[in-house]
Amino acid sequence: MIWALLGPELLLAIFALAVILLDLAVKQKGVLAVFSIVGLLGSIGASLALWGTNGIALNNMLVIDKYALFFDVLFAAAAILVILASTDYVEKLKGFQGEYYALILLATTGMMFMASTRELVSIYISLELTSISLYILAGFLKDAKSTEAGLKYLLLGSVSSAVLVYGMALVFGTTGGTHLGVIWNAVKGLNGIADNPTLIMGIVFLVAGFGFKIATVPFQMWVPDVYEGAPTPVTAYLSVASKAAGFAVILRVFFEAFGRAPWLSQSWGMLFAILAAITMTVGNVVAINQTNIKRLLAYSSIAHAGYIMMGLAAVGLMESQLALARSGILFYLAGYGLTNLGAFIAIIAISNNTGSDLIDDYKGMVRRAPVLSLGLAFTLISLTGLPPTAGFVAKIYLFNAALQSGLLWLVIVGVLNSVISAYYYLRVVKTMYLGEPASTERLSSSGPLRVALTASCFGVLFLGVLPNTVIQVTEAIKFLVS
Amino acid sequence: MEFNFILSTIVFLPAVGAIIIALGRGLSPRGIKLAAALFTLLAFGLSLSAYFQFDSAPGGPLFQFREAASWLPSINSQYHLGVDGLSLPLVVLTTFLGIISVLISWKINLRPREYFAWLLLLETGILGVFTSLDLLLFFLFWEVELIPMYMLISIWGSGRKEYSATKFVVYTIFGSALMLVGMLALYASAGTFDIEALAGMNLATVHTVIPLAAIFFLIFMAFAIKLPVFPFHTWLPDAHTDAPTAVSVILAGVLLKMGGYGMIRISVTLFPTVAKEWAPLLVILAVGSVLYGAAVTLRQTDLKKLIAYSSVSHMGYVLLGIFALTQVSLTGAALQMVSHGVVTGLLFAMVGVVYDHSHLRDLSKLGGLARQMPVAAVVFSIAGMASLGLPGTSGFVAEFVTFVGSFTSKAFDGIQFYTILGVVGIAVTAGYILWMLQRTFYGPPQEKFAGVLDAGGVEKVAIFSFVVAIMLLGVYPAVVTGVLGAGIAPVVRLLGG
Amino acid sequence: MVGLQHYIILSAVLFCIGLYGALAKRNAVIILMSIEIMLNAANVALVAFSRYVTPQLLTGQIFAVFVMTVAAAEVAVGLAIIIALYRQKEKVDVGEVDLMKW
Repeated sequence: MIWALLGPELLLAIFALAVILLDLAVKQKGVLAVFSIVGLLGSIGASLALWGTNGIALNNMLVIDKYALFFDVLFAAAAILVILASTDYVEKLKGFQGEYYALILLATTGMMFMASTRELVSIYISLELTSISLYILAGFLKDAKSTEAGLKYLLLGSVSSAVLVYGMALVFGTTGGTHLGVIWNAVKGLNGIADNPTLIMGIVFLVAGFGFKIATVPFQMWVPDVYEGAPTPVTAYLSVASKAAGFAVILRVFFEAFGRAPWLSQSWGMLFAILAAITMTVGNVVAINQTNIKRLLAYSSIAHAGYIMMGLAAVGLMESQLALARSGILFYLAGYGLTNLGAFIAIIAISNNTGSDLIDDYKGMVRRAPVLSLGLAFTLISLTGLPPTAGFVAKIYLFNAALQSGLLWLVIVGVLNSVISAYYYLRVVKTMYLGEPASTERLSSSGPLRVALTASCFGVLFLGVLPNTVIQVTEAIKFLVS
Repeated sequence: MEFNFILSTIVFLPAVGAIIIALGRGLSPRGIKLAAALFTLLAFGLSLSAYFQFDSAPGGPLFQFREAASWLPSINSQYHLGVDGLSLPLVVLTTFLGIISVLISWKINLRPREYFAWLLLLETGILGVFTSLDLLLFFLFWEVELIPMYMLISIWGSGRKEYSATKFVVYTIFGSALMLVGMLALYASAGTFDIEALAGMNLATVHTVIPLAAIFFLIFMAFAIKLPVFPFHTWLPDAHTDAPTAVSVILAGVLLKMGGYGMIRISVTLFPTVAKEWAPLLVILAVGSVLYGAAVTLRQTDLKKLIAYSSVSHMGYVLLGIFALTQVSLTGAALQMVSHGVVTGLLFAMVGVVYDHSHLRDLSKLGGLARQMPVAAVVFSIAGMASLGLPGTSGFVAEFVTFVGSFTSKAFDGIQFYTILGVVGIAVTAGYILWMLQRTFYGPPQEKFAGVLDAGGVEKVAIFSFVVAIMLLGVYPAVVTGVLGAGIAPVVRLLGG
Repeated sequence: MVGLQHYIILSAVLFCIGLYGALAKRNAVIILMSIEIMLNAANVALVAFSRYVTPQLLTGQIFAVFVMTVAAAEVAVGLAIIIALYRQKEKVDVGEVDLMKW
């Protein structure tokens, strides 16, 4: 039974190892991509088969509830799109294609565990499984920029996970347990912030450690460099899946362990509200002056982390809004994930041809690659939050959740930020549609990449036009709380 | 749930056309234009048939051709379309200008595929605004229009086109951001986005998260920018001057009406108490727009800029009519919207004709064109007369009804004074219109225009349709007043008048 | 008598030293070492809490073992990346790693 419950994760772990072995055997490296995608599809299938199970595994450390399974599907789907988009890119990797796919699968496995674990030790291990895989992937190209990205990501990531572990140690010391249920039992008996300085310090350290993962201000400084230097498919994966995994953990930990005691949850709710306002403002304002599209999207991803944190704040400030805010976060992550992947896939295709990530080199792109430009424009419009896209519905839906928790001021900040963001997103659209192209040469792109771009754009449109199909699912998702 | 697909079909036909044009790789430029004409013509035909089926008898259902489907049940937002006497004429106007603008654009040869795709998408956005009965849906369509407008002005425009397009986007997006906050605050207070439900619940008695007047003004700002009301009008002359002719026609003809329509449908209907309370301020703003617009128009030497500023002045009458808050004045305002849509549409189309043939828009260089362009001169004069409110044209009826309504209004003391101030605007209008016509067409014929041709075949079709519409509204206004009145009456009931 | 307090103070001091080193030093290897100190500070705290707060359970001590294991993996990857960097630059000073704004 337990093996069935862990099916999605175990399947991926096995495929990750198998892909390395297969790499030794086959000459035609395209097989590896197909093989990995088969594994991911199998994992999605296993997740869907488990839907509604509500199982507990490994000594109560893992819960297989709808929340975890939703993220399993999200991560695996993101990984599939990333692998499809990598097919041109891996040509540059010469002898290491097997490892590339294996690391993506391992990172995905780690994220899946992150979404379903409710015990500090296993949170730490799954988080590190993800992070270490991603450190290597960030430095995978082994050229100067990529190595630099890998090193920065590794050093800052390790510092943040050390902070996280220290926070966990403090929480463990004050509550006597590492299981979220045990921690909650201890927190239930406490009262007042001033009386529990060690616990509060531990929680602050947790916020700092997790904040690094989701790239909130002031733990965002790694983002632009790593996003710029890392191989673009990896950047896409980082910006979508890694961020989603961070939110998956934060929401579960903070709700289950600290979310049901008003004296505590009010404080971290307000903390997240303030961080959200600062994060989105910093992300959007700094993005305005970027000249490199990957850095622009890096700051944009910081801003979006800010929007999503509005949902966390809503949960903290009003426990009764949990269902709405959680559903808002999940829908936003799904919509943002598809949108951002679409944008990065278009960028991968364009930079494969032009060899440049500078926005100036996108001038007149619509005449060299009409479909890619339309795809990129459409995803940028979704990131801005204009209809009829996933971004529009996601923002309205999440803003509404924040409003229901009494965060009118934060909603106003969010809306104004969307206005600021329109400026730099539409500037890229403008460059593509209005500029004079540097050359008239048409761009070529591979079949799998076009499939991935089409899939994500249609996904964005679908979520924008018929959001209710997905919102019904996200609203049905509940935590299995001990 | 009743479901009658006629409105959805009207709204989305242009969008379907846009998609076919954008993706139809095999279409020649001529095929693209024919496809665009076909889709807009179909939409126009359908909207006309809806107009004739509409039941405007008193006591009939308010909203007709209603369609409702669950869209986002978790935040109580529906896909809810419907038209009443207020919105239906505007829908017809939009589809009318849709087909006309395709005809006017017949000579576009720069990237025609994209041009017509954006133009049709724009039409869908505007139609959606006029037919939505759900605030969120209204907002959605309100935003859809943004990107097509930006592209149309900045790619196919002239002069400082990118600057103007950006200015348009910045103004609009700020307005809609405020509107979104207002709508969300409204939803948080009342628990629904449905316009009918909100109109029926008397918001003054509902406990709101922020003061009701604040919500009113958050939403009103977006409409005031769009209408535009002085001092939020500065985007308009730039956008008009630099936009291609067909886009100017749409912009003046219906895009501005989204603002006026929103004020009646949302600001007045949902917040009658706030509207009454703040009517003095808004009427003063209206008169300010009228006089300021007229005064600035007098100083313009660029044909397009002149008409653009005259729009500011004419839209002031709409604002005046709306916030005089009587049945007659509101009907006048609605009529003025329809009339201005046709009249200014024609004026811009005529500027396009003059410019296309003479390559000049500068009044100081034009003159004596009546000899070379007799048809254009006559039609332009008719449009000018309608604009200054000559009896027998739509402009007269609309302005007359608005003034009568405002003058007899009891909204607040002293409104008569402001109405009279507004009437002064008419005199100024007569001045600049006659001056413009005289400078363009009359006076001694000039050597340099020797080879200039008159309006061509497709152009004639377009401009004569306008003339017919103007005359029809002027001679027999009952074509629309009955329908408009049916839409206005319930609004006035809410105002307690 | 040495009590819980003393261990916690020790761990806090270690943590601060590590954090200072990680943020202030320019040599990548030294930064890695500082990170190790931070992790070990956490280990000291975990083991001490385990001994004094939950003497009947081994959770804290097991956590410490896991942290050490993961730290080893992290350092392995870290050194690999540093070697890759060294091959390109002949230096391991993060101050030199400035292709992009730091």
